[in-house]
Amino acid sequence: MLEETFVELRGAKLNLRRGGKGAPVLFLHGAQGYAGSDPAMDALAQDFTVLAPDHPGFGHSDAFDWIDDVPDLAFLYLDLLAMLGLEDVHVVGHGLGGWTALEMAIRSTARIKSLILAAAAGIRVPGVPRADMFICTPEELARLIFAGDGWQAWNASLTATPELQEIADRNRFQAAKLCWQPRLFNPKLEKWLHRIDRPTRILWGEDDRIIPPAYGARLKELIAGAGLVMLPRTGHLMPVEQPQRFAAEIRRFIREDAA
Amino acid sequence: MNVLFFHLMPYAYLDMNYQEKYRTDWVVLPNTYFDPVKGHELYNRYLDELELAAELGFDGISVNEHHQNAYGLMPSPIVMAAALSRRTQNAKIAILGNAFGLREHPLTLAEEHAMIDVITGGRLISGMVRGIGAEYFSFGANPAFSHARFQEAHDLVIEAWTKPGPFAFEGRHYHFEYVNVWPRPYQQPHPPIWCPSLGSTETIEWASHPARRYVYVQNFSPIAAVVRYLNLYRQTAERLHGYTARSEQIGWAAPIYLADSDERAIAEARPHIEALFNKYLTLPFEMLFPPGYLSQQSLRNMRAVRRPSIQGGKVTIEALIETGIFLCGSPDTVRDKLVAAHRALGFQNFLAVLQFATLPGDLTERNLRLFAREVLPALQGLTDKEYAGMEPAATH
Repeated sequence: MLEETFVELRGAKLNLRRGGKGAPVLFLHGAQGYAGSDPAMDALAQDFTVLAPDHPGFGHSDAFDWIDDVPDLAFLYLDLLAMLGLEDVHVVGHGLGGWTALEMAIRSTARIKSLILAAAAGIRVPGVPRADMFICTPEELARLIFAGDGWQAWNASLTATPELQEIADRNRFQAAKLCWQPRLFNPKLEKWLHRIDRPTRILWGEDDRIIPPAYGARLKELIAGAGLVMLPRTGHLMPVEQPQRFAAEIRRFIREDAA
Repeated sequence: MNVLFFHLMPYAYLDMNYQEKYRTDWVVLPNTYFDPVKGHELYNRYLDELELAAELGFDGISVNEHHQNAYGLMPSPIVMAAALSRRTQNAKIAILGNAFGLREHPLTLAEEHAMIDVITGGRLISGMVRGIGAEYFSFGANPAFSHARFQEAHDLVIEAWTKPGPFAFEGRHYHFEYVNVWPRPYQQPHPPIWCPSLGSTETIEWASHPARRYVYVQNFSPIAAVVRYLNLYRQTAERLHGYTARSEQIGWAAPIYLADSDERAIAEARPHIEALFNKYLTLPFEMLFPPGYLSQQSLRNMRAVRRPSIQGGKVTIEALIETGIFLCGSPDTVRDKLVAAHRALGFQNFLAVLQFATLPGDLTERNLRLFAREVLPALQGLTDKEYAGMEPAATH
């Protein structure tokens, strides 16, 4: 189990889960928030020192009202790594978190050892539509975000208590603030991806209906030396749907290609 | 009291089976459902109805803005206001409203409003709204900044109308090097500002601020909500802002249908008013309230009092009349209800929605004429003398 801690950064508090031993892994969650990804983190914590923040405005973190977009978020996390004195960090990002990892890496890889991008947002592949998480009902989104039948339990867990409902509303607000327009991408990101000079692994669910696998293939083209691993019977919410497989792929990549 | 005829200009030829394939007639309903030839007929009929209302002695005629839907065919109410400005002489022309904050450059609207005001010699009423939630999908505007952009766009437009240009505007969402609107509005310092809403504490606090004192109009609501929000405006002015609001600062908008008897009115209105709520206003919760459109507090309140959708169950005319959303019946019935509501609430502005959904031209014209002859004079004569004042219970 990761330990819940708070760190003070730029005058606001960030909820930062920490645990495990070994090389540092920063896990950046997706637009649905951290909720439900503990098994994946626990698996990673067996081999690495895991740091898993709630993004500003998500979960139990303060709102950081000055953060308007994902580039702002990326600078905040670069500041966090500097503040904590961390080096050689393996940055793992899922969805929105993958986009954030990319925005960090094009700005500075000085403290970054490798990148693991799981179903990352951030770019747009013309002519390949993604699902719109904001127009869906919660049930429709839950069905779309899983390949298998875990969606019902996951959907129910999000709003099981009034406090969780409140967090779901906060997460949704902050996701809109960061992702609404242009939807889930930064038009300027693509032209700077050549700056990424660290080993990069892209993980994608074969059945991702939120961000289709074509996005993974395109990212592989854009990032020099990046490898792409497709996970069968996996939807967009990979860290929740396949926590052990997700953790195993990260472990394998870090040991074999990014140690 | 000022009484205005309010038109939504619905696409009356909507294929009512659309729900077999699409969940709503907003944003996702293909525009192939719109037939331009039928649209030509409708636009011209609706403009005739607005012009007729001006001739019949309404104090004003009113249009509004909605996008990508069959409920209201006026993505630009400016076009309609412009058409009406040269065909009417005395009636106010109320654009209720335009969503200034949805625009990347709100001054295009400020310019157009000023043009209408100058052309009409000061007959414009400018409505400022945030747009309904669905519009944040069709416009691509980020709902997380909805309140902030609305307020900043307002500040920009008011400055542009009142402060000598050119000047630079330095906001958080809007930055313009040259603000220098030609023409300036005819009315000084600027046209009256109205804020129509479905009920929002934030909007009331903002609109009632002593620096603004804008007209708040409660739209399409059960009478219980009309009571709550119109009294809230007066209470907010008194307690938060420390002044007594004038009755001219509040208004109510409601659909109305009249015939010579209650039974006949109900029979004639039934398919049309039920279509309005069951076919034209079928918005899923996610489209009505995208994230940030409501404050966290308002969202909490909304979850406490409402089912998470206004879609779904079929609304009947009986329920609409019972809750006071729809005023329907003989002229006596409807006049009595309005006079009683005025006695309780004291609103000095009323927007009569006398055409709705599929209500055809002949019934609309009869509705307009009956209202103008049998109800309008009684309403126009109502002043603060007939207002009972806020009940002591309502002030606590």
